[in-house]
Amino acid sequence: MHSIKAPPAHHFDEMLLSQTQSQSASSGSSQSQRQSSAAGAERFRPHYAGYADWLQSSPEQTLTQRRAQADLLFRRIGITFTVYGEEGGTERLIPSDVIPRIITAEDWAYLERGLTQRVTAINKFLADIYHDQAILKAGLIPREQIMGNAQFQTKMVGVKVPHDTYVSITGVDIVRNNDGKFYVLEDNLRVPSGVSYMLMNRKMMMRLFPELFLRQSVRPVEHYPALLLQTLKESSNIDNPTVVLMTPGRFNSAYFEHTFLAQQMGIELVEGQDLFVKDDFVYMRTTSGPQRVDVMYRRVDDVFLDPNAFREDSVIGVPGLFEAYRKGNIVICNAIGTGVADDKSIYPYVPDMIKFYLDEEPILNNVPTYQCRKPTDLSYVLANMKDLVVKEVHGAGGYGMLVGPAATANEVAEFAEIVKANPANYIAQPTLALSSCPTFVESGIAPRHIDLRPFVLTGREVRMAPGGLTRVALREGSLVVNSSQGGGTKDTWVLADAGEAV
Amino acid sequence: MLSRVASHLYWMSRYLERSENMARILDVTQSLAMLDPGADSGGAMTPIVITEAQAEFAATKLPATYANVVAFLAWDLDHPSSIRNCIEATRENARAVRGSLTSEMWENINDTWIAFQEKSRAIDPMMTGNEFFEWVKERSHLFRGVTFATARRDQPYHFTRLGTFIERADNTARILNVKYAEGAPDEFDESDEQAEGEYYRLSAVLRSVSALEAYRDTYRDVIDARRVAEIMIFDPKLPRSLRFCFDEATLVLDELPRESSRLPRRLAAEMNAKLRYGSVDEVLEYGLKRYLADFLLDMVKFGNSVNTAYMELR
Repeated sequence: MHSIKAPPAHHFDEMLLSQTQSQSASSGSSQSQRQSSAAGAERFRPHYAGYADWLQSSPEQTLTQRRAQADLLFRRIGITFTVYGEEGGTERLIPSDVIPRIITAEDWAYLERGLTQRVTAINKFLADIYHDQAILKAGLIPREQIMGNAQFQTKMVGVKVPHDTYVSITGVDIVRNNDGKFYVLEDNLRVPSGVSYMLMNRKMMMRLFPELFLRQSVRPVEHYPALLLQTLKESSNIDNPTVVLMTPGRFNSAYFEHTFLAQQMGIELVEGQDLFVKDDFVYMRTTSGPQRVDVMYRRVDDVFLDPNAFREDSVIGVPGLFEAYRKGNIVICNAIGTGVADDKSIYPYVPDMIKFYLDEEPILNNVPTYQCRKPTDLSYVLANMKDLVVKEVHGAGGYGMLVGPAATANEVAEFAEIVKANPANYIAQPTLALSSCPTFVESGIAPRHIDLRPFVLTGREVRMAPGGLTRVALREGSLVVNSSQGGGTKDTWVLADAGEAV
Repeated sequence: MLSRVASHLYWMSRYLERSENMARILDVTQSLAMLDPGADSGGAMTPIVITEAQAEFAATKLPATYANVVAFLAWDLDHPSSIRNCIEATRENARAVRGSLTSEMWENINDTWIAFQEKSRAIDPMMTGNEFFEWVKERSHLFRGVTFATARRDQPYHFTRLGTFIERADNTARILNVKYAEGAPDEFDESDEQAEGEYYRLSAVLRSVSALEAYRDTYRDVIDARRVAEIMIFDPKLPRSLRFCFDEATLVLDELPRESSRLPRRLAAEMNAKLRYGSVDEVLEYGLKRYLADFLLDMVKFGNSVNTAYMELR
């Protein structure tokens, strides 16, 4: 029997009820009483009942053995990511936890509605700011917030994108706070990655724990590559277009994912050197001569795509690509210039975009964000800095930020001066707790913080595979889920119907 | 198929074949050395000469002992054709196009590479022996088996095969050129008494291309130098003979796109015709070394033409 370390009382745990919740639950349900007797003090949420049953009835070494099997399989298949700047063995495995993160059918239905709404509005926003700029004219977003944004591609102004679909592939980072509610932390609208781990985790779990999938109905995700290919084809006006996946090459950290997706979709995996532009059409060099390319799913950042149009020193791009794109002779997914909509300074406006373009109330919560460029917000931030996370609007990777609760009074005072000097450069948010999920770590099964990245596809309609990538911060207490900083992943199960356990 | 993919597949299989050939050459060299441990170490340089690594080996400034040569050709990080670098290059090429391989093919190569890391930690280079060479050969055999059993017969498969046979033909010609000539006069003399050493030398040549059993089955007679040349150049059924390699290469070229294949197809057909309608007596009359030197030159031209036709990023 496995013992599970309980999470701290104030945390929201995906699997375990808190002490108070479990007391009220056990008085009502005979099923949870049965489990509570098997599980000792721990009480499971109803949708984890099937899993908990299995866990309680399996011998202690089951997880250890299967984790070893999983590691071996991952290494053998070469599901690795590349770590930059490390001596020797630059390929590493992303740890894949053997305990799944389970989402109820009800929660998923809610997320799916909210994501569809959010991504639809973002697409309308992008089409708007590169054309009519109605939202700026309406005064909802200050003009300088857009025009002064480094991610705003002036070259894209007036360029017609087929079906006005700017983001075909979105990865939305969602967390659950200790209030039990979901919050969108970030919209990844450029080249979101991680979907291959969603697919490989599932493949691995089905291989290692077939009995678990017989116990309850977990919705499949394996059709994601088919949905992606359909989405990419729909982005073009041509019948049965030639689609390619463009990678920066095998030294890119996500190279495994690029090869994996190209293979799953049965399309060519191309590098810049495989392509050339002639008379504003894009061709790939094949063993039978040049072949036209109609749609490019690119995993290369905007600025590296074309040395003639963007960074001149790009050696991974294709000279002339932008001109071919501008003339409508190739579709690039995601479109160029989408980064302006996932910038931290624009994020607070997404609920406004939803109201403005769709005339609907936002379904998903944004994390409340204080924009220091607004005097009222600034004074609030300065007064409450010790409770807030303060971030630079264009910053990334944890630089130029202050985590109030973890900072000394001195650090807070110093940062306050910096913010005062240039308020427009900063935003602030309350610190979120991030829900936890029991995870099999060195010390046994213990709670670790997680997030969720569902992948949303926009073709003629919005589609997604039920679930996403669950990332887990493997260090105790850590909130950092990034794979480059000790994060792992979990298989993400969306149940077919509410709380069903067989 | 992308030209770059063709190139990676072709070089993947060339490097794998090269690692196997290197293992074969070293294995045979080592077993010959064991037969005659007191002899001068001139024979130690043979694998260096066969693989044309004289300059690279000289740069190490190591004495030309068997142990040094084996350690150098098996493990040296700076020698591009060491077994270590061949396996690394095989895997890197495969990784660049893993989407064009079946998952079994990729996993096989990746397994080899993972196991190689362990071996490179466990084995003392100066003590590298038969067990390691057998392992290298076996991994190469396994990959071909997996390829044969899982790959669809389309372009990736054909370019993989093409790499194998071009590398192999090149290797067989080199072994014959060096090992055969070693200690034997260039002008073949049938009346030569066959000394005991001669027997071992020739059987080693045959073993290095897995042809000892084939020789016995074909001739059912003592090993003589003329027949060794004949079987290694002209035998249509021996998988490592020049003739066999060019029969295969010609067949592979027939399966590849025709758009720009005129030159490689013509060169392959010419080489194939020489092997198909040639005879060992003609070769010996012309001079074996001369014949093989011509052949190796033709190989270079052919290799370049393949590269230009299918793989160059024009």
